[in-house]
Amino acid sequence: MIVCEQLHKSYPMGHGLKKVLNGLNLRINPGEHVGFLGRNGSGKTTLIKLIGGVELPTSGKIRRHMSISWPLGFGGGFQGSLTGYDNARFIARIYGHDYRDIRDFVEDFTELGGQLKMPVKTYSSGMRARLAFALSLAIEFDCYLIDEIIMVGDQNFHKKCHVELFEKRGDRALIFASHSAELVREFCDSAVVLDDGLAHVYEDVNEALDVYVAL
Amino acid sequence: MTSLAAGWRTQRRVISALMVRELVTRFGRENIGFLWIMAEPLLFAGLVGIVWRFMKGPEDNGVGVFAFIASGYIPLTMFRNAVGRSVRVFSVNGSLMYHRQIKILDFMVVRFLIEMIGAMMAYVFIAALLMSFGEFPVPADLGPFFLGWLLYCLFSFSLCLVLAPLSEMSDVLEKFIPVTIYISIPFSGTFSMLSWFAPEAQKWMYYSPFVHAMEMMRYGIFGSRVNATWDVSVPIAASIVLLLIGLVLCRRIRRQLVVE
Repeated sequence: MIVCEQLHKSYPMGHGLKKVLNGLNLRINPGEHVGFLGRNGSGKTTLIKLIGGVELPTSGKIRRHMSISWPLGFGGGFQGSLTGYDNARFIARIYGHDYRDIRDFVEDFTELGGQLKMPVKTYSSGMRARLAFALSLAIEFDCYLIDEIIMVGDQNFHKKCHVELFEKRGDRALIFASHSAELVREFCDSAVVLDDGLAHVYEDVNEALDVYVAL
Repeated sequence: MTSLAAGWRTQRRVISALMVRELVTRFGRENIGFLWIMAEPLLFAGLVGIVWRFMKGPEDNGVGVFAFIASGYIPLTMFRNAVGRSVRVFSVNGSLMYHRQIKILDFMVVRFLIEMIGAMMAYVFIAALLMSFGEFPVPADLGPFFLGWLLYCLFSFSLCLVLAPLSEMSDVLEKFIPVTIYISIPFSGTFSMLSWFAPEAQKWMYYSPFVHAMEMMRYGIFGSRVNATWDVSVPIAASIVLLLIGLVLCRRIRRQLVVE
C-alpha cells in the first residue's frame, strides 16, 4: 500500500513559486492498476517522482508499505555514458541481485543484442524503454511506476510488456501516467485525474477519461 | 538489530557499486585507467620540484627540496581535486536519485575516497621514485605521518561537505571557490613549516587546520630535521563544526533538489 497525505510540492519560478501539488491525498492498494490523467504540467510526472522518492515533497508525507520501482520514464535512472551492460551491472549491484540473472533476462527481454555494449546515450527512446522495463522486471517490485514511456515501444514490445507485466505479474500494483486513452483503458482498472494540484479518484476508467477530455 | 545489519549491507553494496561506476565513467577501461589519477600529482610534484631545485639548490632549511615539495603538493592536489569534484555534485548525479537506497552522502563519500586513494598511491609512487635517486628520506616515524594524513583528509572532506551544497545554492559562490582555494595556499603549510615564519605570523597560521596536519606529516617523514609543532585539536574541532554545517546544508539541498 502507498499512502500520500497532504502532499504539497512547489518549484522556484523566477522570484516566486510554482505550486504543482496542493495538498494531494491518494491511496494505492496492492495489485491495483491506476492510470494518472491530466493536462501537460498538471503534476503527473511530479507525483510519480515523489512516490518514487526521486524528489522530496515540500510538505506532506508518503508512506510506502511495498517495494516500488524507480520511475520508468524518458529521463533519469541511467548513466548515459555507460553501456547497457554497465548500467545493468550497476543496478544489479545496488539492488543486491546476481548480475548474471539480470543480464540473461535483459538480453532476452530487450532483444538489443550488440547494442547493449554501446553507451545508453546512443539509444533511441524505444530502446531505453526496453532496457528500463527489462531491468525493473528483473529486479521484481510490488509496484511499478511508469511515466508515459510504454507508448514509445513498438507492437512487439507492447506484447512483451503484456505477458511479463499483466500475465506473469498480474498481482503487482501499477501506476501509469499517460495521455493515451486507449492504453489507460487497456491497462488500468481505476484512474486519477490530476487538476489544480489535487487528485480526483474514479473507480470507472471511462468516467475518468470523460472528465479528462473535458478539462 | 537485523535491520541495522541489513542497512549496513545495503550501504556497503551501494558504496562499492558507486565506486566502480565512478571509476569507469571517469577513467574508462582503456590503457592505464585508474592509474591516471596519479598523473596530475606526479607531474605537479615533479615539475615544481625541478623549478624549486634550480631556484633554491638541493636543500632548503636542511631538508631536500624535492621531498619537501612532494610532501606538500600531493595533499594539496588531493584537496583541490576533491573540492573540484564536489562542485555541483548533486545536479551532476541527479540520475542516481532514481534509486532510493542511494543517499547523497554516498556519492560525496565515494568521490572523496577515490581522490584520497589516488593521492595515497601517488604518494607511495613518488616517494619510492625519489628514494631510488636518494632525494627522499626513509620516513622517520609513520605514526604521526598517517595521523596527519587522516586529519588532512578529514578536514578536506568536511570542507567539501559544506562547499558542495553551497555551490548548488549560488552561482556566485561556485565561481569564487577556485580563487579562494588559490589564495589560501600560502596558509596551508604546503610550501613552508610553521617555524619558518615570524612569531607574529605563526600566531595566525596556528588557526589553519591544514598547517597542523601538514606539520605532522612532515615530522613523520623528516623527523628531527624539521622543527615541527602541532595541535590535533585544531583540525578536529574545525572538522566537527564543518561536518555539522555540511550535513544540515546537504539535507536542505536534498529537499529542494530538482531531478530531470
